[in-house]
Amino acid sequence: MAEPMPRPGSVEELPGELLMWVLIVSELLVFGAGLAAFLGVRITDPSGFAEAQDHLHRTAAALNTVVLVTSGFLAARALHLREAGRRAASRLHLGGAMALGVVFLWIKGIEYADKAAQGIGFETHPFFMFYYLLTGFHAAHVAAGILILGLVAVWDEAHHIKVAGAFWHMVDLMWVLLFPVVYLLA
Amino acid sequence: MRVCPLTRAWSALLLLSGLSTVIASLVTRGLAPVAVGGAILVLAWLKARVILSRYLGLWKAPGWRAGFNWVLGFYCLLLLALYFVPTVVS
Repeated sequence: MAEPMPRPGSVEELPGELLMWVLIVSELLVFGAGLAAFLGVRITDPSGFAEAQDHLHRTAAALNTVVLVTSGFLAARALHLREAGRRAASRLHLGGAMALGVVFLWIKGIEYADKAAQGIGFETHPFFMFYYLLTGFHAAHVAAGILILGLVAVWDEAHHIKVAGAFWHMVDLMWVLLFPVVYLLA
Repeated sequence: MRVCPLTRAWSALLLLSGLSTVIASLVTRGLAPVAVGGAILVLAWLKARVILSRYLGLWKAPGWRAGFNWVLGFYCLLLLALYFVPTVVS
């Protein structure tokens, strides 16, 4: 007998694991609070924030956006391919998603090294305190996501790929909110 | 040829990201920062909508998708308000 359709708006209607959605919402709340606090503190010194922001690599961050959304695309395709029974192609896509995650971290590393070379640290200006906290926390999620994608590339049940993909897309979602606020809003 | 929804979503994300960067550069060409900030946050909201709907699969749960979109929309409005405060005060 076919499974009954979930009631519209019910928890059963959510795709994937409920716990993953709880994690997504919790992480969005934490990042959301961080970004709002960033703009809140900016009120006290808008010119100082604008000046500090000029030290950031907007082009590198824009490139990282392309890298991350493409990585998310590959992770989403990996699930479709696994559901279609194409395991090798699915694993290849997961590998591609992981590789782009590494590229993201590499570009981020260059960015941090450049700041360090300029003598810019955590305590240089409140802008940089938020910059390091928010981008560092995000980068830690990227590193964790790469590891999780690696695990599901080995244990490649479709259900595992769906959960890992959801985590990876959450990292994407955080970045598309973080990038404009920290790098673009002068 | 029919393009799959996932590829369309990816293309839309690339387009919106590029547009955000181009719009941000308009501040140096004399466009009001307030207008630029508003446009950038609208684009961020649109990108978040695409990720929620297509990457995270909320297109299968329209009620939840609408809820997330509304909350994120209000959140972007809050960010916009915080961004505007120094302009209003000065």
